[in-house]
Amino acid sequence: MRVRGLNVVYATSQGDLPAVRDVDLDIEAEKITGIIGESGSGKSTLVMALLNSVGKPGKIVSGSVLVPGVGDMLAIDRERQRKARGKELGLVFQAAQNSLNPLRRIGHQVLDLGRSHDVRDLRDLLRRARDLLTRLGMDADRVLTSYQHELSGGMRQRVGIMFALILDAKIVILDEATTALDMLSQASVLEIVRNLHKERGLTTILVTHDMGVVADMADRVVVMYGGEIVEEGPSELVLSQPAHPYTQGLVQAIPRISGDIDRAVPLQGLPADLKTYLEPGCPFYLRCPVAMPKCQTNRPKNVAVSADRKVACFKVTDHD
Amino acid sequence: MSMLSPKSILRKQPSQSHNRQSFWTFAWRTIARKPGRLIGFFIILLYIFIGVFGPYMYPAQLPINPNAIYAPISWQYPLGADFEGTSNLALVITGARYVLFAAAMGAVFTVVFGTVLGLCAGYFIGWTDSVIMRITDFILTIPTFPLLVVLSTVWNFGQPIAMGFVLGITGWGGLARAVRSQTMSLRERGFIEAARGLGISPLNILFREILPNVGSYIAMNLLLSVTGSIYAEVGLFFLGVVPFQVNNWGVMLNLAVFSAGAMSSPQALPYLLSPMLAILILTLGIVLFLDALDEMFNPRLRGV
Amino acid sequence: MTIVMVRFAKRLVAGVIMILVVASFTFLLVRLMPGNPVQAKYSQLLLNGLTPTQAMDEVRVMYGFIPHQPLWLQYLHYLSQILHLNLGQSISYEGTPVMRIILGAAPWTIILVLTGTIASFFVGVLAGVIAAVRRNSVTGNIITITGSVLHGIPLFVMALFLAYIFTTIWTFLPFGAPYNAELTPGFNGPFIASLAKHALLPVITYALSSYGGWLLTMKSSVISVLGDDFILASEVRGLKTSTRIGYIAHNAILPLFTILALSIGFMFGGSLFIEDIFDYPGLGNLLVNAINSRDYPLMSGAFLLITVAVIVSNIITDFLYSVVDPRIRR
Repeated sequence: MRVRGLNVVYATSQGDLPAVRDVDLDIEAEKITGIIGESGSGKSTLVMALLNSVGKPGKIVSGSVLVPGVGDMLAIDRERQRKARGKELGLVFQAAQNSLNPLRRIGHQVLDLGRSHDVRDLRDLLRRARDLLTRLGMDADRVLTSYQHELSGGMRQRVGIMFALILDAKIVILDEATTALDMLSQASVLEIVRNLHKERGLTTILVTHDMGVVADMADRVVVMYGGEIVEEGPSELVLSQPAHPYTQGLVQAIPRISGDIDRAVPLQGLPADLKTYLEPGCPFYLRCPVAMPKCQTNRPKNVAVSADRKVACFKVTDHD
Repeated sequence: MSMLSPKSILRKQPSQSHNRQSFWTFAWRTIARKPGRLIGFFIILLYIFIGVFGPYMYPAQLPINPNAIYAPISWQYPLGADFEGTSNLALVITGARYVLFAAAMGAVFTVVFGTVLGLCAGYFIGWTDSVIMRITDFILTIPTFPLLVVLSTVWNFGQPIAMGFVLGITGWGGLARAVRSQTMSLRERGFIEAARGLGISPLNILFREILPNVGSYIAMNLLLSVTGSIYAEVGLFFLGVVPFQVNNWGVMLNLAVFSAGAMSSPQALPYLLSPMLAILILTLGIVLFLDALDEMFNPRLRGV
Repeated sequence: MTIVMVRFAKRLVAGVIMILVVASFTFLLVRLMPGNPVQAKYSQLLLNGLTPTQAMDEVRVMYGFIPHQPLWLQYLHYLSQILHLNLGQSISYEGTPVMRIILGAAPWTIILVLTGTIASFFVGVLAGVIAAVRRNSVTGNIITITGSVLHGIPLFVMALFLAYIFTTIWTFLPFGAPYNAELTPGFNGPFIASLAKHALLPVITYALSSYGGWLLTMKSSVISVLGDDFILASEVRGLKTSTRIGYIAHNAILPLFTILALSIGFMFGGSLFIEDIFDYPGLGNLLVNAINSRDYPLMSGAFLLITVAVIVSNIITDFLYSVVDPRIRR
């Protein structure tokens, strides 16, 4: 999947807030890509833009999202976009607890989904749903005949995963899919995701603010700040030798299970807000420990520093 | 963060709680934002003015002019004249005081009864709650207007305060429910437990922590109750079940339809329309103004 | 389904209790009357030359209780009468049983109120959906504003206004009677047509006065549902537009059912005006006339029946709601 020049703004009473700025991104097939960033970094907006489902007051201003077998999600006609959603691209919400129609049984909603995507054999669809649900560790028959309020939060989350995969989408996006779960459920859900990814040869995108998840699951990692990509590369390298000051700060802030807790150093300053978004320079300028005068006025571009790594930082790129 | 005193930590977040000065500025700014609201605000002010000073603008006995019976609309009679030749405008203005005063009383009583009962039900829960809710359901089920009409047989509540009282007694149901549910939700969010844990007395909790949070419901309900009270009292006078002492809009409607035969003859029309117009404009004013209150108290509507 | 049945039974019992309370209330009311009418009637009958026993019987038949017994005995007697569906005799209708009078008047009110409610519900809900979906366009705003304006006009003002227009300006709709007096009542075409024609004005009045409420409530409900996560999820999963509309409508309409009961109650209350102005022989008209002629048995009976009608419609609406909302059922 290829993203080029993506710009998304939010229209507010104080002006247009750039939530996603000039993002160029290549998602490698059959790999797990982790997108990491704080709240407000633009990562959720980015994934919604991948499906061209950015909600008001957000608006996609420019860019292209090339999905293999579909085309540019931002350019094709509405009907083809709709068909791609769910069938080629699967999305699991953060709030999957509320992603189901409270007035219809789960099984009926599966059938609705099938009918919307012109699935001819609906019985087969239900059977596949049953298999998936069992695979996800639930009593399939009970779940399919239930209403959403009869299921626990964790169960609803898994149902959300089932819905994302039921139509055999090859690209699956999980937006903070495990944030609302307790640690044990989170571990088991991630394990299931990893297995399914391998079995089906999926291209998986994991959006999270939890570095542990990224460290555990992702092949590649993309770091976002202030609506921009500030670093990307193989996850092992990026996490063990972070290049961008923000990534470095994130890694340093993680307390280790063993060792002195004071070694964990939190990031200085506050997350980006409206003011920082509108500044001309690097969005991280105010919090950056190694900032240079140049950083206040010029915006660093995300450029390659090696075969598979990119960083957006003058400090790093100017040295090369 | 500033010093947190027990009394303030449980207060709602928005800027209106910072100090009284900024609340009024904030209120004014919200009102001034849309022209509709300003119009509504001024209409309300106008009516209050008329209600208070209206009767002073005319002699105690309005002049009867046999030559001007059902006079058409003119400069001298801006709204026409009635069956005795009295200017309709004068009738409307002098009739406003009773209507507005009774409606204000009605709104006050409704709000007081509804809030107190709702708070008690939501705070004390258990047995108190069940009893109060049963009574509320009862009051809400019985059709209000027939009840008022039936009550009028035992008690002549022509006096504005009495009228307000009766309207309050029959109309507190909706507000009680809303206040109760808001109190319950505050309880669920831990407000009440936290306050109790800090050792604040129940009365203090009710008045300083819970009440401000239900303030939005109360303010809006107060205005809506005023309109509801106006309809109810005008309706009662119109049907003729409450004997009239002072001229008011309901009386005008009654006389227009049943004595002056406004339904069949166009000449009595201004006499019929004048009080109706008065009611409608006031309602319009309140509805327009309510929009401002809605935005002030409902943060979701701000800025989108 | 059993939970629904239990709920229904509970509502039924609560309804019966409420009816009894209302009946007791009117009992007390008549006793509290200044210049106790029962007492007055009794004295008057004595003056007319009846013996005390005859007078007492007479009063008992008229009012349903006996003047000189202790209050609680009278109350019990009154209750037992009610259970036998005997509401006494009307004073103004010279001895006709109250029950018969009110049962004769009831259909008029019920038909008008129901027709008005259904009409305003459907049109109002539809308009509310449009207003919500097109809320930033001219159409949407116009619809919303007309709805608000209509909502703000009180029922009797609306009735007076419409009555005036259709009697003096556009006189093609009949006014002032339930049907053309020259026709013979019965299941014949001309009679039914006349009924319908005469009913148009009051039904339209009822409908117009509650239309605004439905519109505004549905609009806000739809807007609220549109912001729900599962609607976004349905878009993200690529559901067909028609399916999504179904999801939205079903979820948005649910809260309206709770208002349905309130609205019907309100309409029954408004029948006092509508029937007075349009001269329909319904319960509202009966109540007002009974009060004006101090016919207390009839007044109590009419009030009781109006309340019963409201309670019954509340129970039905509640039942409907539990059928439509699965969250209540389980």
